[in-house]
Amino acid sequence: MAERSAGYADAVAAVARAEGNLDLVSDELFRVARALEGADDLRMALSDRQIPAARRQQIVEDLLGGHACDTTTAMVSMIVAAGRSSDLAGIAQEAVEINARDRGRSVAEVRSAVALTDEQAERLAAALSAATGHRVDIKAIVDPSVMGGVVSTIGDEVIDGSVRHRLSQLRDTF
Amino acid sequence: MMRRLWAAVAVVVAAVALSASVANAAESVGSCILDEIAVAEFEGIEGQGFTAAKNLKTQAAAGDKHAEDLKEAFGDDLEGCIEAPNPIFPERTEIIWGGLAFVILLALMYWKLFPPVKNLMEQRTQRIQDAIDDADRQRAEAAEVKAGYEAELADAKAEAARIVDEAREQAATVRADLQARAEADIAEMRERAAADVEASKRQAIADLQSEVSDIALGAAEAVIGRSLEDPEMQRRLVDDYIARVGAGQG
Repeated sequence: MAERSAGYADAVAAVARAEGNLDLVSDELFRVARALEGADDLRMALSDRQIPAARRQQIVEDLLGGHACDTTTAMVSMIVAAGRSSDLAGIAQEAVEINARDRGRSVAEVRSAVALTDEQAERLAAALSAATGHRVDIKAIVDPSVMGGVVSTIGDEVIDGSVRHRLSQLRDTF
Repeated sequence: MMRRLWAAVAVVVAAVALSASVANAAESVGSCILDEIAVAEFEGIEGQGFTAAKNLKTQAAAGDKHAEDLKEAFGDDLEGCIEAPNPIFPERTEIIWGGLAFVILLALMYWKLFPPVKNLMEQRTQRIQDAIDDADRQRAEAAEVKAGYEAELADAKAEAARIVDEAREQAATVRADLQARAEADIAEMRERAAADVEASKRQAIADLQSEVSDIALGAAEAVIGRSLEDPEMQRRLVDDYIARVGAGQG
């Protein structure tokens, strides 16, 4: 499935490069994927093969129209029509990483219980860049399950400073 | 055999008949009386011999005294024919003929009768001896068979005793094995029971600890949850995280 997601991500990146907006498309795709994670009904509707593809594409266009660029809308519509909406999160993650590689950067997925302020996001990006030794772009996600603090994932590396993690450690200690 | 016996019997019968005829050749009392009657003549009585005797008897019966006297005298004469025999020695001729007959009879018996009788006796003796020998042989065989039976009986008794001893030994071995196994089982059960008790104790302690930790964690989470509702607390947590990552302590 990872190879399939990488293939779709390469295709998305190729189209976005051709359109000259890979940075925007990858960011919007990432946000759409995060939004779908929190909308179970919508994710199930887009994954339901009993619903005609044209109908599912229409849903995507209705939701993203005016809120995302045409390239992003077309790419999401294509993925949903292909019946790969369940892979959308992986495809978006791969597209973000492709964009970061193109810019000589890494991507850090940052999860927090509350939204980071811009100032906090900048300081966190700087801190992660210092910790990893290369420039890092952060993709912030609000995840209430974190409870408090931040969880940063850069590739295979996870820096977990969440309250959830500390409570889990405390539970393991008992 | 039987033919010889019958011949001997015939010889004996012939000898007896022969001796009887010889004995009859001597003058008997009857012939003497007959001779006296045959020649009798009585004075005054008609006839001679038997006729005279008959007439004498008739006249005497009629009461003739003379005839009665003559009859009495004639009776006395007839008694003369009767001579009393010697109570010890028989007549000489009788001795001679009897001895001769005895000798002949003895010779005949010795010649014809004794051999078959002797053979018969010998055969009977031999038959009895054979029977005795056969009985002895059978008794010896019986004794031998008895000895064999006794030996077999002794062997059987010894075998039975050996089997009983083996059975007792096996029973003792089985009993010892069962006892050892039972003791081992009991020891294992005791160890298992002790282990179960220990495991139950550990599980109870672990459950208690888990329950205590759940209560403590629940309380901590409740406290933390309330404090996390404070935006300032959330900001401080994020800032602390950024500071640790920046300091390389993530």
